[in-house]
Amino acid sequence: MTPFLDIQNIKKTYGATVAVQDVTLGIGRGEFVTFLGPSGSGKSTTLYVIAGFLDPTEGDVRIQGQSILSVPSHKRNIGMVFQRYTLFPHLTVAENVAFPLRVRRRPNDEIERKVAEMVRLARLETVRDRLPSQLSGGQQQRVALARALVYDPPVLLMDEPLSALDKKLREEIQYEIRRIHQETGVTILYVTHDQEEALRLSDRIAVFSQGRIDQIGTSAELYQNPATRFVAGFVGNSDFLSCRIDRVEGHSARIVLPDGACVSGVRSHGTVRAGSEGTLMLRPERVRIRNAASNTTPSENGAAGLSVTIRDITFLGDNTHFAVETDWKQPMAIRVPFGRAGAEGLAVGDRARVDWVAEDAHVFAESANG
Amino acid sequence: MLLDFDRLGGLKWVLVGIGILVSAFLLLPILFTVALSFGSSQWLLFPPPGWTLRWYEELWADPRWITSTLTSLQCAVLVTLLATGLGLLASFGLVRGRFAGRETVRALFLMPMIMPVIVVAVALYAFFLRIGLGGTLIGFVLAHTVIALPLAITSISNALERFDKAIEDAAILCGASPWEARLRVTIPAIRDGLFGAAVFSFLTSWDEVVIAIFMASPTLQTLPVHIWGTLRQDLTPVVAAASSLLLLFTLAVMLLAAWFRRRST
Amino acid sequence: MSSISIPNRRNAAARPPPVPSSGVSFVLPALLLILAVFILPVVMLLLRSVTEPDPGLQNYRELFESATVARVFVNTFVVSGLVTAIALLIGFPIAWLLVILPKRWADLLFGIVILSMWTNLLARTYAWMVLLQRTGIINKTLMGLGLIDTPLPLVNNLVGVTIGMTYIMLPFIVLPLVTTMRAIEPDLLRAAALCGAGRWEAFRRVLLPLSLPGIAAGGLLTFVMSLGYFVTPSLLGGAGNMMAAELIAQLVQSLLNWGLGGATAFALLVLTLALYAVQLRLLQRGRSQRGG
Ligand SMILES: Nc1ncnc2c1ncn2[C@@H]1O[C@H](COP(=O)(O)OP(=O)(O)OP(=O)(O)O)[C@@H](O)[C@H]1O
Ligand SMILES: [Mg+2]
Repeated sequence: MTPFLDIQNIKKTYGATVAVQDVTLGIGRGEFVTFLGPSGSGKSTTLYVIAGFLDPTEGDVRIQGQSILSVPSHKRNIGMVFQRYTLFPHLTVAENVAFPLRVRRRPNDEIERKVAEMVRLARLETVRDRLPSQLSGGQQQRVALARALVYDPPVLLMDEPLSALDKKLREEIQYEIRRIHQETGVTILYVTHDQEEALRLSDRIAVFSQGRIDQIGTSAELYQNPATRFVAGFVGNSDFLSCRIDRVEGHSARIVLPDGACVSGVRSHGTVRAGSEGTLMLRPERVRIRNAASNTTPSENGAAGLSVTIRDITFLGDNTHFAVETDWKQPMAIRVPFGRAGAEGLAVGDRARVDWVAEDAHVFAESANG
Repeated sequence: MLLDFDRLGGLKWVLVGIGILVSAFLLLPILFTVALSFGSSQWLLFPPPGWTLRWYEELWADPRWITSTLTSLQCAVLVTLLATGLGLLASFGLVRGRFAGRETVRALFLMPMIMPVIVVAVALYAFFLRIGLGGTLIGFVLAHTVIALPLAITSISNALERFDKAIEDAAILCGASPWEARLRVTIPAIRDGLFGAAVFSFLTSWDEVVIAIFMASPTLQTLPVHIWGTLRQDLTPVVAAASSLLLLFTLAVMLLAAWFRRRST
Repeated sequence: MSSISIPNRRNAAARPPPVPSSGVSFVLPALLLILAVFILPVVMLLLRSVTEPDPGLQNYRELFESATVARVFVNTFVVSGLVTAIALLIGFPIAWLLVILPKRWADLLFGIVILSMWTNLLARTYAWMVLLQRTGIINKTLMGLGLIDTPLPLVNNLVGVTIGMTYIMLPFIVLPLVTTMRAIEPDLLRAAALCGAGRWEAFRRVLLPLSLPGIAAGGLLTFVMSLGYFVTPSLLGGAGNMMAAELIAQLVQSLLNWGLGGATAFALLVLTLALYAVQLRLLQRGRSQRGG
C-alpha cells in the first residue's frame, strides 16, 4: 500500500552546496513524524519542498499517490506553523484564524462556526479579539496552530514552532499539540533539534544529518538500536570509546580496547570490518561502577569492564553523575540511579571498576573523534 | 553618569539652561510671526500698536493666494499618490528582488536627495523648457516626484525589511495567491511605512521652493512661489498671515501623524 | 561523551527568503522616471558646460580664473563652515538633553525641534528677515538695553545668512546625533565613573568619542546641504555677497550664460559627491573598526 504522504528521493542543491540529499520517507495517515537533526542538516529545506516554497532539484512528493510538485503553494491545502511568529500583525486573533477561510470565500456562518471551534481547540477564548502584538510567544504559536488547522489540511507542517519559547512553556504547548493531534487526527510533520521534544511528541523520528536521513524509527528503536554513531550521539546520552575491531560474526563483534582488554558479544552496526578502527558506544545509565578493591572479575558475571579514575561526582537528586577517565585518558560519564548498590563510598581521585552487560555495548565503524 | 539626568549635578542646570535658550531660539521666530500677523502695523513694529484681522482679509481677498494654494494642493496630492505608488513598487523590487545591479539602482534612487537642489532645479528648468513642460502642472508633479521618491522609497523599504517574509509565505500556505497575500497581508502590515512615505512626499512637494521658482510661469504658481515673489517685493504682514496659516497646517499634519502612530501601536 | 544539547546556531534569519523572485519589473517605473526626469536633464546641463558658447573647456578655465567666482566659493565655504560649527555647538547639548531628559520633557523638546523643522521654509526665513531688519526687534532690544547706539547691519549680509541657515540646519544636526547617543550604553559612563573618571574626563574620553559618528554624520550633512543652499542666502543675503547656488541661478536666469552656469553646477556637484564619498568611507571604517 502506498503511504499517505510519500517523499521520494528528494534532493536540493544550491550551486555547489547540497542542502538535502536523497531523502525518502513514507508517512501514514494521522501519523506524527518528527525530523530531528542539528542546525543546517536539511530539515527545513525538506519541509519547504513539501510546502512548495522550494522546488527540489530531484525527487517527488506525493499525497495519496498524486504528485503535488506542480501545485502552487496556495493550492496545496497544506497547513504550516513556522519557527518565527508569522501572525498577520494587523488582524486580531479571530481574524487571523479566519483568514484561510476568507481567501477561500467560504460563507460567513461557516467561517464563524469554524473559527469558534478552532479558538476553543487552541484554548484562545480569552484573547480572541487581541492583536498579535498583545500576545505572548506561546499564545502566538497557538494562534498560528489554529490558523493552520482551520481549513482541515490533510498535512500539517511545523518547523521548530517552539524554539523561541522557554522550557516550561514549551512543555505546556507540546502537551497541547499532542492533544490537538489526537483530537483532529491530522498528519503532522514536525521539525526540531530538541531530542526530548522529539521523543515526547512523535510516533516516529527521522534523524537528519548533513542533508540525509540517518535512521527512521520509533523513539525506542532509535535509542536501543541506533544505526549510526551519529544517531547514537544525538538520541540519548552516550559514552564513546575508541577501539579496534577484532572479529565480526553477523551482528556480534569482538573488540580490543586501547588498554588491551578484549570485549566480545558487542552489537555491531553498519559496515564494521575486522581489523579496522571503531567506536564503542555505551549508555551512561547502563554502566555500573564500583570500588576497584572489591575483587570480582568481569568474566564471572558475564560483563565486560575496565579500570578508571574518578574525576568528579555530581549528586543530581534521582541519580548521581560520575565523570571518570580511562587509563588511556578518555573521559566517560556514568549515571547511577539513586539507591543502586556498589557505588557507596567512592570519592574523587579514587580508582574504580566500571562494567556493563555485553549486549548493552554497540560498536560503530566511524572513529571516536569523528 | 553623564547619561543619568539626576546624577549630573551642576551640569544638569547648564544643560537645561541651554535647552531653554535653544527652545526659545527655535520657537520665537514662529510665535513672533503669528503675533505679527494679528498686529496692526504695516511696518511690522513689535509690539504692535494694535490688533487686527486685516492681513487675513487681504489674503482672502487676493485670488492669487487662493489659486496658488489650490495649485500647491493639487500638485502635492498628485505627487503623494505617484511617489508612494512608485515607491511601493520600487521597494518591493529592491528589498525582495535578486537582480544584477540592484545596489546601483538603489543608489540611483537616492541621488536626488543628496544632489544640491539648485542643480536639479536648473537642469529641469532647461529640460522642461526644451520638451514643452515648463510652467505646466505635469512638470511640477514630475519634478517633485523625483525629489520625493528617495524619502518614500526609504520609508517603505525600511518597513518592508522589518516585515518578515515568512508572514507572507504563511498567507500563501493558508490559500492566498501571491498577489492576494501581498494585498491582504503585506501592504496592511507595512502601512506605517506607506503612511510615512505619503506624509514625506506631500510635505516635500508642498514646501518645495527652489525647483518651483524656476518652473513657475506667471499663470501657474505654487504657494511657495507666490510667497517668494511677494517677499522679494516687500515685507508685508500678509506673508505673516500666510505663514501662520501654514504653521497651523503643519501642526495639523504633525498631530495627525502622532495620532496615527499612537493608533497603530 | 556527547552532550544533550545540540549546537543551535540560528542561521535562518541571515539566509535569503526561500521564495525566489527577480523583481526587476517592480523597480522599472521608478527607474524610468529617475532616468528621464533626473539623470538625463542633469547630464544635459553638464554637457552644456563644455559645448556653450563653443565646444571646449573655456567655461572651466573661466570658473577657475574669475575672481568673482572665487569670492562666491569662499563665501560659500565660510558660511557653510560657520553654520556647521555653530549648529554643532548648539546641537550637541540639545541631543544630549533629548537622550537623558525624563520622557515628558524630552517629548516636548523633541516636538519643538520637529515643529521648527516642519514649519514652512519660507515662513521661517520671513520671520528672520523681519527679526533681523534695521528696525527689527533684535536691533530695538539691543538699542533699548543701551548696548548699541546705531542698528547693527544684521540682514542683507553674511551675518543674516549664517543666523538664518543655522536655524534651519539645527534639526539636521540634532536628529543623527540623538540616534548615535541613544545607542550609547549608560552603563558605560557609570563604569567610567567607577573607574575614577571625573565628569570632564568621562566626557572627553567616553561620551565625546562615542558620539563622534553622529557628529561626523550630522556635521557633514549640514555642511553639504549648506554648500548648495539657495533660498535663505537669496532672501537674507546681500547682492554683493552671493553664495554658489545664487551664482548658478543668476548665471542661467539673468545672464543666460548656460555654459558657465553648467560648469559651476558641475563644480558644486563634484564637491557634494566628494564629501559624501568621504562620509561613506568614514562610516565604513567606523564599522570595520567595530568588527562587523
Ligand atoms: N538559499 C540558500 N542558499 C545556499 N544554501 C542554503 C540556502 N538555504 C539553505 N541552505 C543550506 O542548506 C542546508 C540545509 O538548511 P536547512 O535550513 O534545511 O537546515 P535546518 O536543518 O532546517 O537547520 P536549522 O535547524 O538551522 O533550521 C544548510 O547547510 C544551509 O546553509
Ligand atoms: Mg530550519
